[in-house]
This record gives sequence, C-alpha cells and structure tokens, in this order.
Amino acid sequence: MAPRGGRSVSTQVVRNRMKSVKNIQKITKAMKMVAASKLRSAQQRVENSRGLWQPFTALLGDTPRIDVKKNVIVAVTSDKGLCGSIHSASVNVSKALYKLISGSERETKYVILGEKGKVQMVSDSKDDIAMTITELQLQKTPINFTQISELADIILKNVEFDAIRIVFNKFRHVVIHWPTVATILSPEVVERESEAGGMLGDLDSYEIEGGETKSEVLQNLVEFQFACVLFKAMLENACSELGARMSAMDNSSRNAGKMLHRLTLTHNRTRQASITTELIEIISGASALTG
Amino acid sequence: MASAAAGAVAGAAAPFWRAAGMTYITYSNICASLLRSCLKEPYKADAASREKVHFAISKWAQGKPEKPVIRSDTPEE
Repeated sequence: MAPRGGRSVSTQVVRNRMKSVKNIQKITKAMKMVAASKLRSAQQRVENSRGLWQPFTALLGDTPRIDVKKNVIVAVTSDKGLCGSIHSASVNVSKALYKLISGSERETKYVILGEKGKVQMVSDSKDDIAMTITELQLQKTPINFTQISELADIILKNVEFDAIRIVFNKFRHVVIHWPTVATILSPEVVERESEAGGMLGDLDSYEIEGGETKSEVLQNLVEFQFACVLFKAMLENACSELGARMSAMDNSSRNAGKMLHRLTLTHNRTRQASITTELIEIISGASALTG
Repeated sequence: MASAAAGAVAGAAAPFWRAAGMTYITYSNICASLLRSCLKEPYKADAASREKVHFAISKWAQGKPEKPVIRSDTPEE
C-alpha cells in the first residue's frame, strides 16, 4: 500500500477519523430516538383525523381517472431532510402524473408545499410552478386545521382548476410508505359527473335541506373537502417522514458502526506496524554498534 | 374565476359570506375561532394554541418566484 521505505499513515489521522465517526453515530442514534417518539403522536393524529375526510370520500368519491382540462398537482413535501426517499418519491410521482395527464388542450400546474420539493422541481419544471409554500412545520406551529385551511383558501383563490391532485406519502407502516394521489374535483365537474352516467352518479339520491341550491351545496362541500383532504395528506406525509427518518437514521448508525470497526482494525494495524518499525530500527542500530 | 361564477349564477341569492368573496373554508374557520373564544380557561389557551398559523408563500410567474409573503401568527424573533 505505502511506497517502499515510506512510513504508513500516522495513527493520529485515523484516531481523528474514528472520533468523528463515533460522534456521527451518536447523533444519528439520537435523531432516530426523537423521530420514534414523535411518530407515536403523529400516528395518533392521523387516526383521529379519519372522521374528517372519510365521509367526503364516501360522498364525492376519489376518481383519479377523471379527464379534465385544467389540473393542479399539489406535491406535499417538507422543509427538513435526512429522511430517506420521501421527498423524491412525491416529486417523481408528481412529474409522472404530469406526463400522464398532459396532452393537447390540457393545462397542468404545480403547487409545491415544502422546501425540499421546491428544490427538486425547480431544476426542470420551473415554468409550470404556480406557487410554492415553505416554512410550514416549525417547532412552534405543528400542522393544524386552521393553517391548512388558510393554505387551501389561498390555493383555491389563486389557481384555476378543474381537478386538484394531491400527491403525498401514505403511511402504511414504519418502513413502508406509499406515494398516493388524492383527487378533488371542482364543483362544476362534480355536477357534470353526478348527472346520469358520470362517475359520481349517486349524488342525486341525496336530499338537500335548507334553502340552498345543489350547486351551492356542492361548492361548499368541494371547498371543505379540499381542506380536509389536504389536512389528511399533510398528516400522513408527516408520519411517513418520521418513519423514513427513523429507518434512515437507523441505517446510518449501523453504517457508522461498521465504519468504526474497520477504522479500528486499520488503527491497530498501523500502530503495530509503527512499533515493529521502531523495534527493527533499534535492533539494527544495536547490531551495527556491536557487530 | 370558475367558482365565483357558480356562486353568483346559482339562482337563489348567494349567502352573505359568499357575496363578500369568502370561501366556505374561511367562513367555517371564522365560526370555529368564534367558538374557541367562547371557552373558559384553561381550555381556551389549549384551543388557541391549535389556531396558530405560520407559512411563507411565494407565487411564481413564468418560471420565476416572486418575493415570498410570510403569513404568521407568531411574533418574529
């Protein structure tokens, strides 16, 4: 390895390396613990939010096959990294969806939540971004419905759409996250599809109480549905992010441990080699004097 | 805007909040925060903490972002 006659690498260098790898291992272990503890409460929130969006799916359906002119793809990511492939998954699915639903007379725009998603999208899809939203999940303001509904309001008011597709990572299990698409239709499209033969044919079987017309009720419902489904998407994505961070940090600590092991062996070899070299010098010096 | 047309042309008079330009989400949030302010302490403080909002939004035009607008309830430090 070393050139003939040269000294091997000094033990100081290897020892410094070992110290920094050990620190990294401690940090990643701590991050894993933190993510694990947060995961518990995040999962609880996801379970509790089911009552909010499930009735909407039962009433208005989730129809990803719908073919409309104006689409808005909302990609849910976050601002923090070190969580495996969560953000790339959302972004790649968004880009694939874009290709899938584009065509002549079709207009598709992106709304990106989260710094990480923005960074990945800017590289090649700049012209299709309608707006980006960052600084979402600081320590002080965890995801709550008020915040999400303000976001939903802004999106509704600023971007024209016939269908919104929310791309997020659904939390199945600590190590399993499925990129999912939730589809929300605008009130006109819902009305069109709920006429006979469309995809939502059952809507007319409901009676409408009160003095509002069907299209008004539909409009209110659709707006609220968007807020609820966005809420669910963000909660699930947060859960997935914590789970992915747990497993990423776990892998990282394990790799750091392996690296530490290899470095220890190198260190010992280097140490022994330098001792042997010294001994040889001393002995040959001594034999040169006596002989 | 697509949704504004549907609200006005419905036939029946649009509710006052729709005519003022609010969406249903804004309306229900205002009602919710009114309800939260009816609570007694300590539940009131707990509920108020669930209402905090903070994000930075930036609209894009032709591939360029505009200056981000920060919408926040927490005081900047």
